[in-house]
Amino acid sequence: MLRITRREQGTLRRVPAAVRGARLFLQLVATMAAPVPLLFSAPSFSAPSISSVSSVAAVSEAAAANGAIRGRVEIRRTATGIERRPGVADLGTPPGRLIPDLRRSVVYLDSAPRGAFEPTEGGRAVMDQRNETFVPHVLAITVGTTVDFPNSDKFYHNVFSLSKTKPFDLGRYATGSSRPVRFDRPGIVRVFCDIHSHMNAFVLVFSHPFFALTDGDGRYRIDNVPAGTYGVIAWNEGTSSEPKSVSVPDGGLAELDFTLR
Amino acid sequence: MTTAVRWAVRAWVLFVCLDGRADAQVLPSEPIAFANGRVTVGGDIAATIGPHDDGFFNNTDYSHNAMRLLRIDVSAAVEAGPHFALLGEIRTENFGQVRPYAAYVRIRPWASRNFDVQVGMVPPTFGAFARRTYANDNSLIGYPLGYQYMTTMRADALAANVDELLKNRSEGWGLRYSVGSRTRDGGVALVSAFRWDTGVQMHASSASGVVQGTIAVTAGTVSNPRFNDDNDGPQVVGRVELRPASGLVVGASLARGAFVAEDAERAALGAVSNPDDWRYTQSAWGGDVEYSRDHYVLRYEAIGSGWRLPRVERPLLPRTLGALSHSIEGRYKLRPGLYAAARWDWLGFSEVVGTKETAPWDAPVKRLEAGVGYSLQRNLLLKLSYQLNRRDGGKLEKAENFPAAQLVFWF
Repeated sequence: MLRITRREQGTLRRVPAAVRGARLFLQLVATMAAPVPLLFSAPSFSAPSISSVSSVAAVSEAAAANGAIRGRVEIRRTATGIERRPGVADLGTPPGRLIPDLRRSVVYLDSAPRGAFEPTEGGRAVMDQRNETFVPHVLAITVGTTVDFPNSDKFYHNVFSLSKTKPFDLGRYATGSSRPVRFDRPGIVRVFCDIHSHMNAFVLVFSHPFFALTDGDGRYRIDNVPAGTYGVIAWNEGTSSEPKSVSVPDGGLAELDFTLR
Repeated sequence: MTTAVRWAVRAWVLFVCLDGRADAQVLPSEPIAFANGRVTVGGDIAATIGPHDDGFFNNTDYSHNAMRLLRIDVSAAVEAGPHFALLGEIRTENFGQVRPYAAYVRIRPWASRNFDVQVGMVPPTFGAFARRTYANDNSLIGYPLGYQYMTTMRADALAANVDELLKNRSEGWGLRYSVGSRTRDGGVALVSAFRWDTGVQMHASSASGVVQGTIAVTAGTVSNPRFNDDNDGPQVVGRVELRPASGLVVGASLARGAFVAEDAERAALGAVSNPDDWRYTQSAWGGDVEYSRDHYVLRYEAIGSGWRLPRVERPLLPRTLGALSHSIEGRYKLRPGLYAAARWDWLGFSEVVGTKETAPWDAPVKRLEAGVGYSLQRNLLLKLSYQLNRRDGGKLEKAENFPAAQLVFWF
């Protein structure tokens, strides 16, 4: 069962201020001693919880042909990217930057077929740094994948993440250089640049291959899904849908649309 | 309840209040944007707790101790088309008066050219450190001496002679002179990191960004930035910055401007009319180098300043009173979210000859600060540091060592 909790998505429960304050104080104290604390219940985008391989979907063992799920994700909310901080200390206008495409969503199976969790040889993926923007803004990969972070700008970048799934800091490196990160655990990794605070991206790491990134129109297609009934989730910029149930017929196609508000 | 605890509680309450914003949203982690990103508002809160600084090594422009300070900055930028932007920042320290820190219009006459004109209370042209406005831009808690330490130099009050100057050594946090203003007030740092000057600034950069140049005409001087001119004398300040290789930034700055306030000058010239001393200026030069690579950053900055003051009585002040500061700092990231940093500072002064002694006109100071920073969240940084201060001469404490902790939140 692959499940990203509400808290992990950054959708937070209302907590009384006094409780928050007490928690803040205790966490601050704990911070002094603990190596990896989290002071506020901020959008942490930590690892999706994952149980074991035995927790699988109701899939017919006799299923012979694989099917597919396709559909469209409609975004009805205004997802806003991180703007540049007001650069009052800048001596001139800062250079222009690309605006990341925030409408790209990821659709994935909440529960995966048996065998889906078998270790696979990790591939490679690329997340470029271009015009002070991570390109692509969202990357969906399987566990074991190594992501290269080339720097295509004329100046330094410093890619890092404080996520629990994969904390890393690649340091500063120049144009034309690239540094890799291997993602060994499933979860959501929020990636930032230590020099340019408005640069951010998501790496979604799955322990199974049943996921797809939507295109510019919000359309997706997940192929090679064994026949069976699954819960499917759509994710966009830290917000995800409730799981929707869908039955994939033998060698057939299931249609499933989402609306994210 | 001790003052330190009181401040800790205030800081805590402030964070909690912010945490209780509408929709139970946690502290904002990014600038607040309106109008499709054309209006952005950012903030920076730094709560610093440390022991009393009886030697006034860390006093700032507004007589606050930089190591016991709650500082709140709110900045905003409004983009009004491709050619105009309005930028501003207000700041309060220890919940005191809210002061404008920056307020200017940025004009880009040609959208495709790297040339900007900024008019108003503009960013510092001189040096490198003063433009690191946010607390998270400073690896440590304290400031470089050249940008923070209050010398015994004042623009509105003057020592009548060398003996009076020497008598006040080390008392830059609050001193009184016999010429000009008689009120007790603080002296100036070589370059102020706490106030921005008012004027017109032009900045240009080559297409590759390898060469950048800035020139400004302002009302005050680098040590005494002003909103209202107090002496009808402008300052001209310029900076050239080279970025010959990735990670390497080399900068050079020059400044010269009328320093002494008109009232003080009149008081001095009334005492003795010397036609040779009609321009009382501050001249400053600065050099800075930054190199960064992988997980470390190294910075060096030197500032030299010379003040020309009216010479009133014997023993006469020398034609120029000089000061020189060096600052070298390094930061190394030990692991994601955790870094160690250290800075060594030295601030020295030229010698003057008094009736009884020959000595630097203010007491030289050395400082070593080392610490760590830990990111509790991306935009919530805890800094811990230990600072050693040594002063060579003067009446105040000769040495002070103390720890400090700072919690920095920004959005």
